Amino acid sequence: MEFAPICVYLVISLLLSLILIGVSFLFASSSSLAYPEKLLAYECGFDPLDDAKSRFDTRFYLISILFIIFDLEVTFLFPWAVSLNKIGLFGFWSMIVFLLILTIGFIYEWKKGALDWE
Amino acid sequence: MFEHDFLAPFPEIFLINATIILLIYEVVLSTSKKYDYPPLVRNVSWLGLLSVVRLGGRVWENEEPYRYLITILLLAANAPLTVANLFYNNLIINNFTYFCQIFLLLNTASTIVMCLDYFKEESLNAFESIVLILLFTRSMLLMISAYDLIAMYLAIELQSLCFYVIPALKRDFEFSTEAGLKYFILGAFSSGILLFGCSMIYGFIGVTNFEELAKIFIGYKITLFGAQSSGIFMGILFIAVGFLFKITTVPFHMWALDVYEGSPTLVTTFFSIAPKISILANMVRVFIYSFYDPTWQQLFFFCSIASMILGALAAMAQNKVKRLLAYSSIGHVGYLFIGFSCGTIEGIQSLLIGVFIYVLMTINVFAIVLALRQNCFKYIADLGALAKTNPILTITLSITMFSYAGIPPLAGFCSKFYLFFVALGCGAYLLALIGVVTIFISCFYYIRFVKIMYFDTPKTWILYKPMDREKSLLLAITLFFITFFFLYPSPFFLITHQMALSLCL
Repeated sequence: MEFAPICVYLVISLLLSLILIGVSFLFASSSSLAYPEKLLAYECGFDPLDDAKSRFDTRFYLISILFIIFDLEVTFLFPWAVSLNKIGLFGFWSMIVFLLILTIGFIYEWKKGALDWE
Repeated sequence: MFEHDFLAPFPEIFLINATIILLIYEVVLSTSKKYDYPPLVRNVSWLGLLSVVRLGGRVWENEEPYRYLITILLLAANAPLTVANLFYNNLIINNFTYFCQIFLLLNTASTIVMCLDYFKEESLNAFESIVLILLFTRSMLLMISAYDLIAMYLAIELQSLCFYVIPALKRDFEFSTEAGLKYFILGAFSSGILLFGCSMIYGFIGVTNFEELAKIFIGYKITLFGAQSSGIFMGILFIAVGFLFKITTVPFHMWALDVYEGSPTLVTTFFSIAPKISILANMVRVFIYSFYDPTWQQLFFFCSIASMILGALAAMAQNKVKRLLAYSSIGHVGYLFIGFSCGTIEGIQSLLIGVFIYVLMTINVFAIVLALRQNCFKYIADLGALAKTNPILTITLSITMFSYAGIPPLAGFCSKFYLFFVALGCGAYLLALIGVVTIFISCFYYIRFVKIMYFDTPKTWILYKPMDREKSLLLAITLFFITFFFLYPSPFFLITHQMALSLCL
């Protein structure tokens, strides 16, 4: 009986994947709407059948680096949030200092226009 | 619990706050339409200089009446705290760190002073470089007072990250981008090796604090064959290799040449001066305080000999200025390592004196290179007939070159003499012999500078613009020290002796 949660987990994951596939079968486009571009894989606007070494905008790289930084900030927030009752006020203000420094970086990036995409 | 812990590193905290406020100030102003996007580099440089100088203000006991409030705060906060152990033994402040930090701040201030004119000439409106410079000053201060492997690695990483960006400042100049990329790859690689060594040490010993490591390694033989624990040996070897990469000694020097040559001259100045001080100070703490063992002596002997030989021989074939200066700095690190590898107190003292004099000479030479940069001063032959167009600059450069070569009454001779004296005193006869021979060999290309300036006539005469006031002041002060060091060297000897002694407590 200890394995009941695992059984529930299996059932739910099976159900979820079946729903995800089944719904696309039910509500998918009919033949009048199925032109070739609609059926192709999506690659952020690039041509999926093109040469893999074509030029692309460096803004993609910038976005990925910014993502890494703020994602790691959130990663540091998780254990802090869980243990906040034990580290008390001192722990709270330490994390605020950390967030403040990252916010400074964010302001810098905003003002420099790294978040604009024309 | 934390009564002293935020009071003692008050200068570092001030520097961080100053950096943050400067960054916000410049990014908000320089992108604001109202002020029509002013290029704020000069502004920010002076402010950065002021904040660095205010930190150095804790040296002076007698305040002049117009001192800013902050300096008085710093003095008041720091007077009783010359020895402290902070942040659960992660940082330490004693005489060694105190004087090293002051020295480092003075050097950073002088390098910022040199680059004020550079920004105007090259119209490099990247104010972020000053912020990065302030940030790595902060990290170097931290590195000097680091007392734990983790704190040391954090500081090294912060310094390296700030440095990765600035060689690539000139974005449309290929050499610059190449230098930045090379420095990034090799810096990341060497940091990885260093961290691997640190983790092996932690894995085999269980402590990361330098004091604990020092207590554990008393009387513990770490030899390769018949090793009691080869894991510790590998760990320390990796840490040594990581450090040697960063200080550009010979088996690991390959990146330094291209990076020094390709980056903008300002950045080469920073590279030659600042990391050497802080990484040497850190190495001294790690290898002489924590891991003191004759096994490492052999490694450092080899690196020292190889650096001296390479620095002497390879520079002869160079006809580009920055590459030659890079080779000469590699050679100089070789000489400094003589003092370091001896492992005695006099050794550390001679290392510190050597660093001090090396930094003075390097500031001098790079101030001249920056001043003459007017017509793309790339090749040595561009210096031709400088004696006729600018005799005072020629005399300055000659004296500095003679000092580099180790000609007697100048400061370079004093430092080299003391280094060889120490090597003989500890029985490293081969080291002293090779040192002397390589000094003779390297004399050639230093004195070649003098010969080109006085006796060569170039095909096209180059007239250089007169340099600005800050650089001339800096040149005068360093030249004064170089020329008259031998008359009254005792304050420096006393200070460095005290620094070396406080390392062994």
